[in-house]
This record gives sequence, structure tokens and C-alpha cells, in this order.
Amino acid sequence: MLKSLDLQDLKSKLYQAIDNRVRIITAGLNIRELRNVLRGDPPEEKPNPRYKVHTTSFLFHIRPRYYEKASTIFTHTFRLGFFSMFFFVVEAITGIILMIYYSPVPSEAYQSILNLESNVPFGKLIRDLHRLGAEAMVIFVFLHMVRTFITGSYKKERSFTWFTGVLLLGVTLFLSFFGYLLPWDQLAYWAVTIGTGMAEAAPLFGREANLLLRGGPDIGANGLLRAYLLHVVLLPAVAVLLISIHYYKVSREHGISLPAKYEEGDVSPEEKKNARQRIDFIPDLLSHEVFLTSVGIFALVASVIVFGYSAPLENIANPQVTPLDTKAPWYFWWLQGLLKLGDKTLMGVILPTLVVALLIAIPYIDRNPYRSLYKRPVAVGIGILSLLVLVVLSYMGTPLYGIETPAATRIVQDLAPEEGVGPLRQVPFDQLQPGTYEVKETVPRDLCPNLDFGCPALTSVFAEYSRRVNRAINDTSLPKIQRLPNGQAFLIIEDWQTDLRKVTFRILWDDPDTQQRKTYERHIFLHRLRGNE
Amino acid sequence: MSRVQLEISLGILFVALTSALLIWYGLNEPKRMAEYELHQRAKAIEVGAELYDINCKGCHGPQGEGVVGLWPPLNDRHFFTNRLTEVGWSGTLEDYIISTVSSGRLVSTRPDLYPGQGRPVMPAWAERYGGPLRDDQIRNLAAFILNWKDTAPDRTAQMAEMAGPPTGTDINKQLPEGDPVRGQGLAAAKGCAVCHISAPTGPAWLATPDQPGIATRAEEILTDPNYTGNAKTAAQYLHESIVLPNVYIVPGFQAGVMPANYGDTLTDQELADIIAYLLTLK
Ligand code: HEC
Ligand code: HEC
Ligand code: HEM
Repeated sequence: MLKSLDLQDLKSKLYQAIDNRVRIITAGLNIRELRNVLRGDPPEEKPNPRYKVHTTSFLFHIRPRYYEKASTIFTHTFRLGFFSMFFFVVEAITGIILMIYYSPVPSEAYQSILNLESNVPFGKLIRDLHRLGAEAMVIFVFLHMVRTFITGSYKKERSFTWFTGVLLLGVTLFLSFFGYLLPWDQLAYWAVTIGTGMAEAAPLFGREANLLLRGGPDIGANGLLRAYLLHVVLLPAVAVLLISIHYYKVSREHGISLPAKYEEGDVSPEEKKNARQRIDFIPDLLSHEVFLTSVGIFALVASVIVFGYSAPLENIANPQVTPLDTKAPWYFWWLQGLLKLGDKTLMGVILPTLVVALLIAIPYIDRNPYRSLYKRPVAVGIGILSLLVLVVLSYMGTPLYGIETPAATRIVQDLAPEEGVGPLRQVPFDQLQPGTYEVKETVPRDLCPNLDFGCPALTSVFAEYSRRVNRAINDTSLPKIQRLPNGQAFLIIEDWQTDLRKVTFRILWDDPDTQQRKTYERHIFLHRLRGNE
Repeated sequence: MSRVQLEISLGILFVALTSALLIWYGLNEPKRMAEYELHQRAKAIEVGAELYDINCKGCHGPQGEGVVGLWPPLNDRHFFTNRLTEVGWSGTLEDYIISTVSSGRLVSTRPDLYPGQGRPVMPAWAERYGGPLRDDQIRNLAAFILNWKDTAPDRTAQMAEMAGPPTGTDINKQLPEGDPVRGQGLAAAKGCAVCHISAPTGPAWLATPDQPGIATRAEEILTDPNYTGNAKTAAQYLHESIVLPNVYIVPGFQAGVMPANYGDTLTDQELADIIAYLLTLK
């Protein structure tokens, strides 16, 4: 028995068995081939086993077998589509982890986020990554659209790809929007209240649309649950479907477009041929994607850990208190800007719908057969104009534009905003020296000469307060609402409790309309250990 | 090195860098989480202070000092040391506060000391019981109240150690010289400020757009035909209003709201100080 056991034989049999297994697992590649792939060597077997993977493996069958060389030039795509997908996957993974700790009930949602951040190791990191990934995804998807527009890649056979792309842009924005509500803080609550309120302005079925979204006249338990389900079930499912179709179109049907110059430009046939050389998915494109992924993950993690990106969390949602500055997330500022321009139905519903319709129709409206920038002056001109309009509208959407807050309220809000940090809250606790400080024509150099460390931070807040108040008192060219005739202003700091101080802003002035003396007062409590986030 | 190899090597490098960052972050996690909890507690106290200022100071006083003979102090040593045993509560003080505040109090547990006013003596605050506050807000209020723990003065002892005999209710009594600065402190400590400065329970002492300060009004009232008291001077009017508040009721207010026992709890000197202070509020 023992004699017949040939070690050599056993070894090769074992090798063969493993080799076979590997070929089955990789859907076509054996050990040797796998090694060649990793080293970037050409295939040894014929027919090329690396193509077979694309027919036998589910995951690979929506990936391309190859792209044409020139279409993989970095400055042609900037890998924006790839990174859109990358962020979608990051969102899916971090999102699933967040789901473990989150509970979509108004009385618990906020608490569950606090708990995640204070009691779950890496919990805050996951939340930061999810938030950052969401914002990045919006940016990358948008830039990807701009890129395909600029390279004229939406034309002819790619017009359906463009169509699915526009839908994906919408899905991405809606995903962000409903995700925004989930932490159930003031920021979220009011931004989403305004957003869903827009649905109400839709003609014909507005009331019903609003009720359907909010699950009642106001956002409450029903609204939160609906936003949650949209955010974690329906919209991701739609996104997966659309992305699959989008990817399938690109990788299995028409590939990535070549830079226009190789199609219609003045280049030698030699170069044209070279541009169409095949770059195989395995190993070149695949290793490139793996590389990009590692860069992407590093960039995300470093943004949080090294550069300190932190997902905001304001005070818990309070349906009774509308914050002074309600602000949509930045990628919806343009919509807020539009709303300031006119009627809710027209600006908030009809116009955006038209914009989407127009985007979808671009490939069919634009009948110019050329793709090169220089041969499409009208399209490029309109594109640039649209970008400018978007920027201007976004600026108009911020509270900086067109919101009239009375002077006293505005000044105090800027120094100590209701939500977020602001200059006052950044003053170190020990510098908040109790006392009553009245605003005068001149600002003292140091508000607290008795403290041996002084109070530069408090002094600079007080200086800003004085400057703003004095301007409102003296500058008669300001609009009425921004003035404080005969104004008097105080900053009062009191010791209130252990490690707790009370800061009062008090402003008195003569109301220009009624000539009566008016008072505005706000109290802010500051604790030594508050931490500024 | 082929492009594939280069990208694989760089990829490995980035993965290594990312892992290093994550490990470093992970090592800091316990500290970060502990700090986060401190910040959270600090913010709870801040929010609680604000809610207290809006909802509670009208009875329990801006600094939790309460009002002698009406509403209990919360910033009080007794509250933190003996109150739970006194009422036979087996849970924590935090639970006691949350439960009391949530459901309010129908009748006072100490009718002789702090009878309160009306029924219920304290309304229910939690939304669950028809009040205006959410549970998290009541937890914040509790955090704020509990933050008095280390500094709460012993008010019962302070009361027992009155600096002299009570002044009584004789308004013709000769009072010593008063000190307005001490008077201002007393007005806060004895809870007068609760009704007269912070909340519109009683007539405002400070000048408002509609009327002058208390000193000027005390002057004017002597010639008012509707005045039913016996005072001859502004100081005497103030004296009377404090020790015998129901002799003359200021129009727009009700009899019996202002505690009628200050004659028993103030000394001559304290009364004189408060009057001196009031006379400065023109
Ligand atoms: C209308 C006056 C009033 C207001 C307003 C009021 N309370 Fe009270 N509070 C009372 C009275 C009266 C009692 C009962 C005292 C007793 O039973 O001895 C009480 C009792 C309490 C107690 C229990 C004290 C003890 O020693 O048993 C707490 C804690 C308390 N209140 C907190 C609050 C808080 C917090 C608020 C603000 C949200 C508030 N109260 C607002 C009148 C008031
Ligand atoms: C529970 C609330 C309350 C507290 C506490 C209270 N007061 Fe009053 N006070 C009133 C009310 C209500 C009136 C008006 C009705 C009246 O004249 O009795 C009043 C009237 C007065 C007046 C007459 C005011 C005027 O405008 O003519 C004086 C003076 C006064 N209080 C002083 C005091 C002093 C001093 C204390 C503290 C030792 C004090 N009060 C505590 C409620 C209060
Ligand atoms: C979740 C969002 C999206 C994902 C994941 C995605 C992914 C991709 C990928 C990976 C490509 C291959 C080329 C490249 O990397 O640039 C691509 C191509 C393309 N995408 Fe998208 N995309 C998304 C959204 C959009 C949007 C919003 C549009 C336009 C409205 C769009 C239009 C196109 C077009 C026209 C192409 C073909 C480009 C060419 O052939 O040069 N896509 N997409």
C-alpha cells in the first residue's frame, strides 16, 4: 500500500484539483492565469479565458470586456461615473451599519443618533462617512453629467444612457433629501417641512401629494417613517435598477465614447487606429478600478480623521419653533432661490419639472451631429449659461439674500445663532467674565483688564457687536428695518450655576413707525464643557 | 513595472495608510466617546436652563430660590439630601424630578410651608399629560436642576437663623437706616424678584413704557382717591404693601396672591433695606 503512494503523483493530483476549483470559482481562470492577471501579463490560453468570465459570472456580465484605449484617457472621463458608483456603494455599506442603531420614531430618532455617536465605537465615523459620501455623491453625479454634456456623449445611441442618467440624478437628490430628515434635528425637520410643503403647491393633486409624503398635515411619526422607508428601501432599489441599466448600456452596448477628436477630428488614420486599441477589463480596467477604490476610501477616511469633517447635528426637532434661518441642504439652494422669485406652484413645481423634462429631451432637441466642443457653440453656450444661473440661484437661496430680519434680531443671530456655533459660543468659558457691558462709540481694548489672561475672544465678539449696533444707530442710509434709532445695547454675563453662565443680549431702540421704545432680548446659556460641534 | 503592478502596489499602499488611520482613530475612540458624553450633558444643562427660564422661574424663582410661604425652592440643600426620604421615594432624585415635573402636582405635599396657589398647584408639563414639554425636554430640565447639587445653600437653616426678631405688621414702627444695595440682594433672595421683576405675577418694579418705577408710583398713590391704606409717605406705603399686602390691592391684580407673611420672615433691617432699594427705582 505504502509503496504505491507516489508523492509526486499526489502533489500533481492535488494541484489539479485545486486548479479546477479555482477555475470554477473565478468562472474561467486557473491559478496560472490568475497569477498572470495580477502581474499584468498577457493571457496564455486560447481562447482568452478572461473574456469567458464575462459570460459566466453574474457580477462580471454587466462589466465591459474591454474599452477602447482613447476612451480611458483620464481627462476624458475624470472617472466621475466610476466615483458616482463608488459613493453609492459606500453609502449602501455605511447605511446598513447605521440602520442597526437608528430607530425611525420621532421620540427616539435623535436620541439614537446621540447614542450612536457617544456609545458606539466608530459610530461617529460611520455617520460622518455616510454624510460625506452623500454630499460627495451629489457633487460627483452632477459633475459626471456636466462631463458627458461637454464631451457630447449624450448623442445618438447614447441618448437612452443619458435618459437613465437624468433619472439617476433625480434619485440621488431624493435619496439625500429624505436622508436629511432622519437625524430629526431642527435643521432636518424644517428643511424637509419646506421641501415637502412644495409638493403641496403642485397643481391638481398638491394636497394629496403633500399628505402622502408627510403622512399627515405636519411631519410627525408617519412622515418620518415614510422618509425612512423611501430612503432605505424604495429609492435604493430604484437606484440599483437604474444604475444596472445605465452600466449595462455603457459596458455591453456602446462602450465609453471616444474623445471627439478621434471620431471627427483631424487626426491621422494611424492615431485613429491606435485610439481604438482594446484595453481589456481583466486585468487593466479591473486593477485600475481597485486602485481608484483604494484611493477613494482613503480620501473619505482621511477627510474625516485628518481634516475633521463632521456631520452636523443640531438641536432636536421642535415643531413649535421655526428657526430664524431655515436652510435647505446646499444642493437645494437653487430651488430655495427660485422660490424667492415667485409663486410656489410656478417656481417650486412647474419650473423644476420643466427643467427635468428639458434635461431628458436634450439629446432629441440637440440635432447637431458633431460632438466636439468647437462645433457646438450653441449647446456649449447654453450649458455655461445654465451653470451660471444655477450659481446665482443658489446664492439667492441662502439667507444672505432677500430675507428681511429686524436689525436687533439679525445682529444677535449672527453672533449667537439659534442653531450651530457662531462667534459667541467659541469664546472660551473662562473669558466670559460676568458683568454688564454697554455698547459705546468706542470699543475698549480689553473688556476684562482684571483677568490676568484677559479676554481677547470675548472682546472681539463685543467689538463686532458694537460695530454692528453703532452702524445701525448711525448709518441713516440703511433701510428702516436695519436701523436702531437712539439705540442702546448691552451684553450681560451672569454666573448662573456650577460651570454655567448666562449671557444676555439686550437692545433698546425707538421704533421708527410707532415712535415707541422697543426692547429685544435674548438669553443664551453656556456650559463650560459644551464643546463646539 | 507594468501599469497593473504599479496600481496594485499603490493600492496596497493606500489600503495600508487607511488602516493606519483607522487604527489610530480606534485607539482614540474611548476618549472621544467619553468627551462626547460630557458635551452632551453640558448641552442638556444649557437647554434645561433655557426651558427653566421660560417655564419655571415664575414659581420656583430665577435661581431656584422659591418663594417663602408659596412655592418650594429647588436650589436647596434639603431638596438634594432629605427630600427623597421625606416623600418616601425609592428611585433616584432624577427620576423623582422627571416624574413630578411630567405629571405636575394636584395638591401640595407641604401645605403649611409651600401651599402654592390654585389647583393644581403645579400643572403637568409632559405632553403625555397634556402639558407643553417633550420627554427629552423634561430630562434636560432635570439635568439643569441636578446641577445645583454641589452649591445648593441650606435655605431652611438660613430661615431659622433670622438675623433678628421679625418686624411684625406695624407700619408706624421706626425702621433703621436701609442700604439699597443689600436691599437688591434681599429682593432676589426672598423671592420678591420672582413676581415683581421676572414674571408679571405682580406689579412691575422697574419702569416700563406704560408706567414709571415703583418709587415714583409710591409717591403718586398717596394722592390717589382710590387708595384705601393708611400710609402717609412713599416709604410707609412700601412698608405697608410688604407686611400688609391686602390692605390695598393694586388695580389689575388680585388679593391674596402676594404672600401675606413677610412681617414674620423679615427683620427690621431687611425690610428697611428692601424699602431703600425700592425707593431707588424711579
Ligand atoms: C404655578 C407654579 C409652578 C410652576 C410654574 C412650576 N412649579 Fe414646580 N412646584 C410648584 C408647587 C406648588 C410644587 C409642590 C410643592 C410641594 O408639593 O411641596 C412644585 C413642585 C416641584 C418639584 C418637586 C419639589 C419637591 O421638593 O417635591 C419639582 C422638581 C418642580 N416643581 C419642578 C418644576 C419645574 C422643572 C418647573 C418648570 C417646568 C416647575 N416646577 C414649574 C409650583 C410650580
Ligand atoms: C407671589 C408673587 C409675589 C411675591 C413673591 C411678592 N409679591 Fe409683592 N405683590 C404681588 C402682587 C400680585 C401685588 C399686587 C396686589 C397687591 O397689592 O397685593 C404685589 C404688590 C406689591 C407691592 C405694591 C406694588 C405697587 O405697585 O404698588 C409692593 C411694594 C410689593 N408687592 C413688594 C414685595 C416685596 C418686597 C416682596 C418680597 C419680600 C414681594 N412683594 C413678594 C405679588 C408678589
Ligand atoms: C448614480 C449615478 C450615476 C452613475 C453611478 C453613473 C455611472 C456611469 C459610468 C460608470 C459611466 C462610464 C463612464 C464614466 O465613468 O464616466 C457612465 C457613463 C455615462 N453616464 Fe452615467 N452615471 C450616473 C449618473 C449619470 C447622469 C446624472 C447622467 C446625465 C444626465 C449620466 C449620463 C451618462 C452618459 C451619457 C454616459 C456615457 C458617457 C460616454 O459614453 O462617454 N450618468 N455613467
